[in-house]
Amino acid sequence: MQVFGSKELLEDVINRDLCIGCGACVGRCPYFKSYKGKTAMLFECDLSEGRCFAHCPKVEVDLDSLSTTFFQKAYDGNPLGSYMEILGAKAGDKIAKAEFQNGGSVSALIALALETGLIDAAVLTDREGIIPTPRLVTNAQEVFECASSKYMAAPTLSALNNGIEQGFERMGVVATPCQATAVAKIRTNPVKRANFIDPVNLVIGLFCTWALDTRQMLSFLSDQPDMADDIRSADIRSMDIPPPPEEVMVIETGTKKTKIPLKEIRPMICESCQFCPDMTAEWSDISVGAFEGKPGWNTLVIRTKKGKNLVEEAVEKGYLQVEKIPEESIKHLAGAALNKKRNSFIKNVEKGLVNTGEKEGRSAIRLSDDVLKKITAQKENAV
Amino acid sequence: MTRLIEAEEGSRQLFMGNEAIARGALEAGMKVAAGYPGTPSSEIIENLAEVSEKAGIYVEWSANEKVAMEVAAAASFAGLRSLCVMKQNGVNVASDFLLHLAGSGTRAGMVLVPCDDPGALSSVNEGESRHFARLVEVPLLEPGDFQEAKDMVKWAFTLSEEIRNLVMVRSVTRLSHASGNVIMGNIAESKNLEAETKNSAFFKHDGFILDQMEGAVISAPVTYKHGQQHEKLKKAIEFFETSPFNTYTGPENPELLVITSSVCSLYTNEALQMLNAKDRVGLLKLGTTWPLPPKLVAKHLKMTDKILIVEEVIPFLEESVKTLAAELGPEIGVKTFFGKRDNTIPSTGELNPDIIASALSGILGIDMEPVPEAYTKRAGELAFLNAPVRDLTFCPGCPHRASFWSIKNALTMDNREGFICGDIGCYSLAMLPSGFSALKTLHSMGSGTGVASGFGKLGQFGLNQPVVSVCGDSTFFHSAMPALVNAVHHRSNLTMIILDNSGTGMTGFQPHPGLNEDALGKDAPAVDIEAVVRAAGANVTVCDPFDLAETRETVLKLLEDNNGVNVLILRQICALSPEKKGKKQFEMSVDENICVGENCGCNRLCTRIFSCPGLTWDREKKVSRIDEVICAGCGVCASICPLQAINKKEVA
Repeated sequence: MQVFGSKELLEDVINRDLCIGCGACVGRCPYFKSYKGKTAMLFECDLSEGRCFAHCPKVEVDLDSLSTTFFQKAYDGNPLGSYMEILGAKAGDKIAKAEFQNGGSVSALIALALETGLIDAAVLTDREGIIPTPRLVTNAQEVFECASSKYMAAPTLSALNNGIEQGFERMGVVATPCQATAVAKIRTNPVKRANFIDPVNLVIGLFCTWALDTRQMLSFLSDQPDMADDIRSADIRSMDIPPPPEEVMVIETGTKKTKIPLKEIRPMICESCQFCPDMTAEWSDISVGAFEGKPGWNTLVIRTKKGKNLVEEAVEKGYLQVEKIPEESIKHLAGAALNKKRNSFIKNVEKGLVNTGEKEGRSAIRLSDDVLKKITAQKENAV
Repeated sequence: MTRLIEAEEGSRQLFMGNEAIARGALEAGMKVAAGYPGTPSSEIIENLAEVSEKAGIYVEWSANEKVAMEVAAAASFAGLRSLCVMKQNGVNVASDFLLHLAGSGTRAGMVLVPCDDPGALSSVNEGESRHFARLVEVPLLEPGDFQEAKDMVKWAFTLSEEIRNLVMVRSVTRLSHASGNVIMGNIAESKNLEAETKNSAFFKHDGFILDQMEGAVISAPVTYKHGQQHEKLKKAIEFFETSPFNTYTGPENPELLVITSSVCSLYTNEALQMLNAKDRVGLLKLGTTWPLPPKLVAKHLKMTDKILIVEEVIPFLEESVKTLAAELGPEIGVKTFFGKRDNTIPSTGELNPDIIASALSGILGIDMEPVPEAYTKRAGELAFLNAPVRDLTFCPGCPHRASFWSIKNALTMDNREGFICGDIGCYSLAMLPSGFSALKTLHSMGSGTGVASGFGKLGQFGLNQPVVSVCGDSTFFHSAMPALVNAVHHRSNLTMIILDNSGTGMTGFQPHPGLNEDALGKDAPAVDIEAVVRAAGANVTVCDPFDLAETRETVLKLLEDNNGVNVLILRQICALSPEKKGKKQFEMSVDENICVGENCGCNRLCTRIFSCPGLTWDREKKVSRIDEVICAGCGVCASICPLQAINKKEVA
């Protein structure tokens, strides 16, 4: 890929409102800072090439190149990405009950990876009040403190950058699809640094359909008369969207559970999410999400040998229990993933963000024209 | 500067214009002087303060120009000659009192010296104080050189007592701040004051209501007093008709008459010399420029049909002369006028001999090239190729650089397009890259918070950007206090940041009411800004701007609050203050092995963006260096370096 600098990043991503605030550009230099879900560039930097541009998941993402690097094949547009196996799973008996979103599989896998030394630190997302915050942890207890979904764009990867500065060399990252894309770019050393060491040894992806804008959410909740006090005292315990047909988000605070209709939540979805083609975090070793129809369980998409080995070890050691997942569920999952992929690619094409030539300038995403055609031509729920 | 008082009568001294003005006041037996610091006026009060004990006079830096004029007026009412000094726009601040003072009249001689700044060399305006003379109807004098600066001020006191009203003596930067020979007069000779002979000040107020010298000093009954004021002006005109400050040089029947005043008379003289045109052009230099003496002007207008009026800023003299010419039409005939209104003279900026010479050559048909074209071209090339760009910048160790670094960062991170309403002081430089171009409005003293108070009430119309104002400590007392009170009372949503560097930094570190020192350097009770803010009902936080992280976090927190006025005092003494000057708190150094220079990861943040003059870029080694001569040792750059390559070591 061709690498540009912060000026182009500003033009292509921040000024187009495509920045999702993943934190990939935060912490490598003094120019980018994250605050309440937004990444700001404090001062102008005149370098023509920078890691800020090179690592950004919203510009010049070459899907063929990433797929070749991580899965040794060209990008084929499969709705669920490249995978070896899909299983149902939940945390095993060895794992104490914590405030998990579903089955606690992510916490269990990361805890094990830390304990076995597969990873030397984990890049996670914690929460301060309602605001998601990056956190670099090195032991299982800290992992459990970060459990449960945040539903908001978070600068998680600034903790990865922080870990690199601290000298960690085998980090595990729990990443949303956009974050996982940035991690994949980082691992390919796009700026071609000499003495580059891949700082990541494990990526656990999270299913994601969209994220909410932190500041809008904060202001929305502060305006809810029965929540204002809890928001002020920053006492948020969990957020959840129960399966249809309820159409609500449930926010649990120290004092109560509040249901907010999704139609009020949806306007706060980040603009950038509409352009994201990835629902299952395809650039990971294992992707984890809800097991629809089976509360308290997760769906595991195992993508790499390393991921498969970790899951097997987890089962063996009682960190995880797994079971087969019905074909119908996989089909349903793939259908949802395809919808996101197709709709976003159509939007990207409309905006002129895909496979642009030299004249039109830089692209957000590049992939083969055939695959692009295949994805955008598919009918809804074609899988 | 004891020679201000000790220089003997008849001796010739090289005096700065402002010293000449101060000496003139001393020779006149002036007893009370008050002013507010402002370039180019500040040295007048400073010099008087230095000799105040010896001269037995009272001198103060007042909280603002209006108060200064009120303080000086009280002395006049009590029978003491008084002087009031300010820069051009200071007169705007004082103007409400000025109007009423002109109406009530004065008793002992009172002189107002405004120092204008044509070309805005040290101002954010090209204001004009002369029109206040016409607006409030008091006499105006304009010295044309250094000797006149002294002599006119001295005579202004006499005139003031002749007409029992205020007299204005207007200086400009090139007179106030340049130096020339001045022959001294006698300081002891003037004792024409009632109070001085009695050796006591006394305010007599129980006389007849309409008796200006013994009754109440008020501007009512207005039409009666206004009528009296006009009588006084007529008397002034009589003096002006024969004043030695108005001079004519040139032939009896010149081709062209130039009418001018102030330093423009020097420029014109030089221009005429350059053009070798002294035998063709007459030069009427007026020292008494309002009201104009009609007979004197008529006499000179009759000499020729072409008249050029040369002056800076507004066409003040031009309009006065044209008004007279219209009235004198039947006697003097129709004249052709050149000046600002027909663009013979530029309508803005400073004048100089070249500009005037080119105006004159156009009228006289002389072929002249003030600066040869080849020279201009070559000079331009050389400047472009060789002269380094030197931005106006904050001093090394200046707390404002650190303050704006944090405020700007907080506003950018906050990401809601918040902005800063600026104010007048060194920190006005934050409109430039030195202050990270942080100021988005900049007007008069105290206006930052006033404008912010307005922005802070626009929430109901959808303005949801964070509103920040900044103001200095001296500016706080000068005029930001009413704005703060207004904002608090109306629950305006804003963050006011007081950049407290413990002095009036921009004009030379004069004291203000917040300090425990007065103009003479004596102990004075300090008014506590924090207590004033608290009493006004605003939340107040105090921070050290050198602690960048804490300052940024504090600002971010205050920006979140949308419930009225929060005040943040960023307190750190000016790097040039007597306490700090020459003393380094830290010895700074750069670890060349850690500095990544212009590589991705820093790209010279310290020398390219922070840009303290104490940091330099080593082009060969490609690392930053500390310039030990310039570095003030504040230690702030150690906190901005992303790689901790800059080290600070406490100086024992």
